[in-house]
Amino acid sequence: MNKLVEIALGLVTGIGGFLEAGSLATSVQAGASFGFQLIWAIVLGVICIAFLVEMSGRLAAVSKHTLPDAMRERFGIRFFSVPLVVVVLVSFLVLASEIGGVSLALQLITGIRFQWWAPVVALAIWLLLWAHNFSLVEKGASLLGLVTIVFVVGALKLHTPLGEVGAHLLPSMPREDPAKYWFMAVSIIGASVSPYLFYFYSAGAVEDHWDEGHLGVNRIIAGLGMGFGGTVAVAALAGAAMVFHSRGIQIDRYEQIPLVLAEPLGHGGFILFVASLGIACFGAALEIALQIAYLIAQGFGWKWGENIRPRQAARFALVYTVAILLAGLLILTGIDPLRLTVFSMALTALSLPVTVVPLLIVMNDPEYLGDNVNHWISNAAVLFVSVIACVVALVAIPLQFLGGS
Amino acid sequence: MKLGQALLDQQVTDRNGELMGKVDGVIVELRKEKPPRVATLVIGGGTAAARVHRGWARWLLRWRRRWGPRSDEPLEIPWSRVLKIGVDVKVDLEAERTPALAWEHWVRDHIIGRIPGA
Repeated sequence: MNKLVEIALGLVTGIGGFLEAGSLATSVQAGASFGFQLIWAIVLGVICIAFLVEMSGRLAAVSKHTLPDAMRERFGIRFFSVPLVVVVLVSFLVLASEIGGVSLALQLITGIRFQWWAPVVALAIWLLLWAHNFSLVEKGASLLGLVTIVFVVGALKLHTPLGEVGAHLLPSMPREDPAKYWFMAVSIIGASVSPYLFYFYSAGAVEDHWDEGHLGVNRIIAGLGMGFGGTVAVAALAGAAMVFHSRGIQIDRYEQIPLVLAEPLGHGGFILFVASLGIACFGAALEIALQIAYLIAQGFGWKWGENIRPRQAARFALVYTVAILLAGLLILTGIDPLRLTVFSMALTALSLPVTVVPLLIVMNDPEYLGDNVNHWISNAAVLFVSVIACVVALVAIPLQFLGGS
Repeated sequence: MKLGQALLDQQVTDRNGELMGKVDGVIVELRKEKPPRVATLVIGGGTAAARVHRGWARWLLRWRRRWGPRSDEPLEIPWSRVLKIGVDVKVDLEAERTPALAWEHWVRDHIIGRIPGA
């Protein structure tokens, strides 16, 4: 029974946590620009993140180490400092994107420009962490995150041709604008394979004292949770394809984006879109701010944990305080949150080998995992997706900027 | 020597299980006609920084003279204090009373503790 509750909670977190600023922005933009054509990129990203989350949970259950602990121990501080810096930087940009996403949701309802909302949003995120009762907030946010299922309802009401969706589960060559096509493809993969997801997951598993009896639960949560989350992302892409692409509408203002749901569901759809955007990004922002603090605290052996008073883990609290403050300031400058998000996702894709290969090495080390080392399929799937994403990003990012769009 | 390598960068906890840092350095004792042995474990930001990049560590050191706790000498833990080596290295000390938490206390007293609700 207990296991069933754990699976249910894990699935809720997977579904509610998957769709955030990155997935939403990249899915909607891809659907609007290329119709159903980029669905394969979501599929590839979901396969990769499911394997990574499973590994991170297995590492915690078998070795009782969080991912940063194991990485520092295995590689020493010198080599560990490279993925540490990269993950912190990428996560910081994603944190800013999420704050931008919440601010944008508030702009859509109030008409007040997003940048003025940034300090309010940042303060709210910080207060919830400062109140050191995060486990409650986290579960609440993922439960509310289930609202994103409305994208599936929307896509079905738009009579999305499921045959078309199925036809694009496998990659195809772009018919137009190849630079933008590949840039969007890597952004989508980066959005799915956010390092904060799997770095965070091992900390939760260690805090919940997982052991080898959890390996089955872990596999189900990773596979189904990420699978369902990916389904929501596909639905958002399909909705955007139906509403924008099939009618030749280009998105050039934020106010158009909610049409993905407002078109099939009316004014209620608009409200649900704003709620989905706001809740999903807010929940993700909480997790990312916390994950940055976890990563640094675990890397240096400081005290960490989500339910201890700030003064009892002062350095830990200092890290998330500074991260939220800087991310809020970045949005306050008026930087375009949508472009920042898509750019951060492309950068995430570019950095995948650095964040993923050390994990793979640990996962193949019997000193940490005994008989539970990686199957070659896990290694191959993750390596394949991250190397492809990195190589394509290496070409597509400069092209995108030279193109000036 | 192998033991020293294996211990580096492991998590250190005090006798009550409180996290107190990582094994940032290991001092190995060379003995005549006997194999060398691990004599001391070191916890200290400066020691860790020097292992990342020496020049960078010197730069940090200059910068920290104007900032931070008055003393953050690396903590040297004699081998006799090591209780158990498992997932973590458990040592027979009380973290709160060691310089390993000098920065933690400094941040608490000068920054975090001054914000309401901490």
